[in-house]
Amino acid sequence: MNGKAMTRRDLIRALATAAVTTLPAAAFGAGRGQSGNRPASGPLLQVALVPCPDYDSGRLVEAVSAGWRSTRPPDVRGKRVVIKPNIADFSAERPIHTDARLVEALILHLKTLKAREIILAEGPPHNRDTEWLFRKSGFEALARRQGVVLIDLNYDDISPVKCVNPRATLLKELYLPKTVLSADVIISIPKMKTHRLAGITLSMKNMFGILPGIKYGWPKNTLHYNGIPLSICEINGTLKTHYSIVDGVVGMEGYGPLLGTARKAGVLVMGDNALAVDATAARVMGIDPGRVDYLAMAHKIKLGSLRREDIAVAGENIEKVRADFVLDPEYSFLRAPKG
Amino acid sequence: MGLKKPMLNPSLSQALDFIKASQNPDGGWAYRPGGESLVEPTAFSLLALSSRGDKTAVGRGLDFLKTCMKDSGAVGIHPQDPEGSWMAYAALLAFHALGAAAEERRLKDWILRFEDASGHFTPDDIKAISTVYRYDASIRGWPWTSNTTGWVEPTALFIIALVRVGTPPTQNRVRSGVSLILDRKVPSGGWNFGNPYSKSHELEATVMSTALALAALGAAGIPESRPAVSAGIGFLARGLAGDVSTASLAWTLLALRSYPAGAAQAPVVAARLAGLQAADGSFRRNLFETALASLVLDDAGALLRTAWRSG
Repeated sequence: MNGKAMTRRDLIRALATAAVTTLPAAAFGAGRGQSGNRPASGPLLQVALVPCPDYDSGRLVEAVSAGWRSTRPPDVRGKRVVIKPNIADFSAERPIHTDARLVEALILHLKTLKAREIILAEGPPHNRDTEWLFRKSGFEALARRQGVVLIDLNYDDISPVKCVNPRATLLKELYLPKTVLSADVIISIPKMKTHRLAGITLSMKNMFGILPGIKYGWPKNTLHYNGIPLSICEINGTLKTHYSIVDGVVGMEGYGPLLGTARKAGVLVMGDNALAVDATAARVMGIDPGRVDYLAMAHKIKLGSLRREDIAVAGENIEKVRADFVLDPEYSFLRAPKG
Repeated sequence: MGLKKPMLNPSLSQALDFIKASQNPDGGWAYRPGGESLVEPTAFSLLALSSRGDKTAVGRGLDFLKTCMKDSGAVGIHPQDPEGSWMAYAALLAFHALGAAAEERRLKDWILRFEDASGHFTPDDIKAISTVYRYDASIRGWPWTSNTTGWVEPTALFIIALVRVGTPPTQNRVRSGVSLILDRKVPSGGWNFGNPYSKSHELEATVMSTALALAALGAAGIPESRPAVSAGIGFLARGLAGDVSTASLAWTLLALRSYPAGAAQAPVVAARLAGLQAADGSFRRNLFETALASLVLDDAGALLRTAWRSG
């Protein structure tokens, strides 16, 4: 540390390093979470990078359908599908939350695929006023329009689930909402954003929002004290996200996830492996995913892969759509070199 | 059990019918009908129902609430919760209103020992937090869960409950909680969950956090002449011009009744809140919100005993 006081960033990095050393590589392999498929012995992970210049409803439906077809999506026919958007907060000036029009396009797509039940579910992190948030962000109207259920996960019924490696962390078990536990298919649909505590927030970080506030508080401080990178890996290692769609049509750069500024990337990033999707989205943002603590940790414990050579990207070329998101100076080290 | 005489207002009576019909077989209440029994909705349902003198339902609910108490006196979110947490504030109010004196005393003692992280922060932590968020992390308040950061809303809820059961505002923990709330005020007026700033950015206040903070400050006897209080009341007045949720309206009504300056606006807010009641008597089919709305639309006596009301 060169004799300087430890910064928050140093602290987070130190916690992440310490946590990884306590995790055996296969710690998460036997869990119900993200599978440990690593393409060295299997097929490449598939991610779709779908151009989508705006939130025109017709274009969104086409883009979601195209991305879905060119990846390995879950079979949703006859299934109970839970969609987890990111509604961290609402601002009329800043694009904090996943755009409801994109989520509506996904719902329409799932209906054509004959999903039995579609549920929208979110547990906002620090603002307890979910009625207000759901209304202002357009999700209340969306749910009514599409006839789907909208659940506040912060106040849902909960059940304890053993963490996949209970010796590794402070949390021996996670209390998870029954709405999520009873889902056949979970789809994470986050906003593409920078994050002042985690570097970036995409599909894996979005799953923080499934943890119930009644048990973990607002913000979910228990997890912060447990270490953000480790908590992200723990949640994703314990509970599988079956599909991810990152809303990069308009993301947020700078001092995200609440106070940054709008940044258009004009893409959707889609796939069945959340880590591969996040790594690809990071590259679109001009960020080296290997420098993001929790992505590196997730790779190490085999929640998928972040390596370019393990991921087949369908659709657009990453370099062509790369939009270097402005980084908070504390996170300038995340920037990937050009070319 | 300290039950009051039956209430006559037909709308509120309908709300109580909804609450009574939603009682679970274990005696408790969930946030939503048919869900699992939890401490906060159970305690508020009991507070609401106690106004009608329904001894059977209230007795079963009180029994459920007592099963949530640990040997330490702690109350968590439900009987299986291994530790105490923020919902204890609601249980304290219910134990007091229903005359469960032994449980009230044990729970109050536990709440006064329920710690946030302020005692664990190093001087460097406190300095770093002060730099980024511009608040004093050494001030002791109440957290949502044990030994994590103290925030505005749980601190306010515990102050409201402690003062309501007779804890003097001069008590050390209450005074410290008041200091935390005052320290976390947003410069432009009001409160949010507890970060006035993040680096150079001033964060916005919210109606719910502001209402809770003001209700707590009012309960603790902080006068409206204090700039933070008057600015908070001003923020609420501005906030009421926009979209406000059911729970926020209910807490706002409680806050406005805590101060003479706010009381003038209370009838309008009460009418607005009453207008949100559904045909089935509920507020959004949420048991906690239905009970809260019933209580604040009645006279809020189960929740508030403020200096200016009693004096």
